[in-house]
Amino acid sequence: MKIALAGNPNSGKTTLFNAITGKIEHVGNWPGVTVEKKEGSVKSSFISDEKNVTVVDLPGAYSMSPYTSEESITKDFVINEKPDVIINIVDAGNISRSLFFTTQLLELGVPVIVALNKCDINEKKGTIIDTMLLSEVLKCPVIETIATESRQNGLASLIDIAVSVNKNGDKQKAPSPKDKIIEFSKEEIEALDKKRYDRVSGIVTQVERRKLESSSQTRQDKVDRFVAHKWLGIPIFAVIIWLVFSVSQSWVGPWLADVLVGWIDGFYGLVEGALGEGTNPVLSSLLLDGIIGGVGAVVGFLPLIMVLFFMLALLEDSGYMSRVALIMDRYFKKIGLSGKSIIPMIISTGCAIPGIMATRTIKNERQRRTTAMLAPFMPCGAKLPIIALFAGIFFNNNAWVGTSMYFLAILMIIVSGLVIRLITGDKSTSYFLIELPEYRIPSIKRATISMFSRAKAFIIKAGTIILICNAVVQILQTFNWQLQVVTEEMPGSSILASIASPLAWIFIPLGFGLWQFAAAAITGFIAKENVVGTLAVTFSITNFINVEELALVAGGSEVVSVFGIGAVAALSYLVFNLFTPPCFAAIGSMNSEMESRKWLWGAIGFQLGMGYIVAFLVYQLGTLFTMGELGSGFLGGLMAVVAIIGFIVYLILRNNRSEIKSSLKAA
Amino acid sequence: MKLNEGNTAREYSIVRINALEEGMSEFLFTLGCYPGERITIISQLSSNFIVNIKDARYSLDENLASAIFVEDINIEELAV
Repeated sequence: MKIALAGNPNSGKTTLFNAITGKIEHVGNWPGVTVEKKEGSVKSSFISDEKNVTVVDLPGAYSMSPYTSEESITKDFVINEKPDVIINIVDAGNISRSLFFTTQLLELGVPVIVALNKCDINEKKGTIIDTMLLSEVLKCPVIETIATESRQNGLASLIDIAVSVNKNGDKQKAPSPKDKIIEFSKEEIEALDKKRYDRVSGIVTQVERRKLESSSQTRQDKVDRFVAHKWLGIPIFAVIIWLVFSVSQSWVGPWLADVLVGWIDGFYGLVEGALGEGTNPVLSSLLLDGIIGGVGAVVGFLPLIMVLFFMLALLEDSGYMSRVALIMDRYFKKIGLSGKSIIPMIISTGCAIPGIMATRTIKNERQRRTTAMLAPFMPCGAKLPIIALFAGIFFNNNAWVGTSMYFLAILMIIVSGLVIRLITGDKSTSYFLIELPEYRIPSIKRATISMFSRAKAFIIKAGTIILICNAVVQILQTFNWQLQVVTEEMPGSSILASIASPLAWIFIPLGFGLWQFAAAAITGFIAKENVVGTLAVTFSITNFINVEELALVAGGSEVVSVFGIGAVAALSYLVFNLFTPPCFAAIGSMNSEMESRKWLWGAIGFQLGMGYIVAFLVYQLGTLFTMGELGSGFLGGLMAVVAIIGFIVYLILRNNRSEIKSSLKAA
Repeated sequence: MKLNEGNTAREYSIVRINALEEGMSEFLFTLGCYPGERITIISQLSSNFIVNIKDARYSLDENLASAIFVEDINIEELAV
């Protein structure tokens, strides 16, 4: 049998879905996290006799007349796929709105069970709902649930009833005289919907007793006034992000990373010992430096990433993210996007692929495409090792490196958005509305689950794509084109060096014109974690966490001398990797959401151009401030930057000219 | 008057909705924001209005707030 989970946004559908299927789909305490339907089977502990019960988690909807794309998915599913039972998740704190959708579901002829979720919050507030009466009025079972709890949560009885309703072949009776949905005029539909709301209001007055009027000011509103304040909003956001980074990058993360790296080193030693003297040197270096070293260098950063994801999950759970959207809305308005665009960007801090998919919720085509183009600028989980590496080696694990990268990303997004609006010449703005969920104490347990699920994905990636890439990189730099082993004296003669060197000169004006950096930037397109892995393999440093080891490799005190670049160039390289096009998988996702080749290639070109310009500015200006002179290759770089900017200006002008022409024609 | 001209912590009655974007009025309707219903401005933060409609908090931007026409409840009661 098939059960569909339907309900308003942020009523807890995905949390309930995870609880009954044991899956780990992304949840957040803000509306619009789920944009696609997800399927799973109910855990066997919930079902006694019936064997395969599938559950479908649907995106949130306020009604059956779809306004958003998520609502369309939900409507199409319940009408076309004919689920056996619909579980309608209702936020117990807001039945006066939720029951509107409920009454529509009750008219489909499919058995409906209402899961009155978040009952624990009602108890705290002293709101009482008479579930018996509600069930009587609606003519369907009503079960109190608390999807966030692991025990005493009502989920077992919910599934029991769903299975038994299906077994008995109960037909859902509509609670009131059913309005036939035939061709009505707009006015008639409006009148009917009004009647529906009146009915709902009637039901609510019957079953609900509130201690507190919801329109009265609460402590939550005081918090909102503070965190979304005109001037304080951004600084508070900055402090929160800085805290997240200082805990993950400078405090807890490195300590855990040291432990893990110790294990990796031990494993390296073990394998080295096991190989013994008789092994082919090429093979042993492939195994030790390429595979264990390269993958180890990436995995060494896993604790930092896990701690960061843990903190981000806590943030998402608290309800703060909705407020971030409303703070950002003010700025996004100015660049022709809306606060809706912030949601894909927040999701992109985990991974750009679901982030780009979340742009589907944006109705305006240009805004949607622009958001899909800009969301990958947010530093995703895969870019964190790069940030951590450079923050660790050049900036003493400072939390401000990561924090400033986040804010630089937001700045880049704002500037780029402005430029894209000028190029497309679209002046339309749209309305912005977001529901503000109640704040709650974030759950350590949920954050832990989310952290481990992301860690698992990271490890799988490290063991597959990154492992293969590192092995290939190791082979390409071991041999030259004649397939001879490259000697110590001639490291630049390898296949890899000869492929990457021609590209390296492009990077001279950015401060890192070495073939190793070029190679790492290229492998970064396959997966961003590769940047760290490739640097580890090409510089033959297998342990980035341990600064002493770096010093040993350098054979001196200067850690930095290994890379042969200074802190300014390192920052420039970091910026370049963060703000150039994302990995191939994310580009594929951009392609499917933009639905336009022209936009896709435009986006890739634009991202490359922006990355180059920003890295150029960081390196040249940074060198000017620190050394009092311009960096190398200034003129060449300047010419390239001027060419890029010139091309963008040309596009803007071209568009404006055509606008003038069309307005003349109209006149 | 328009909602964005209203005062905070006051409950208003919605008179009409004049949203330009297609489907927006219908969407607001599904949230319970339609003529005859009540809306309270909880606070105004820069250009965003935090409002209460049917037991939920939303943030609207100034554009949208200016598309919602409201009147004082007292006036309405006097008329009755």
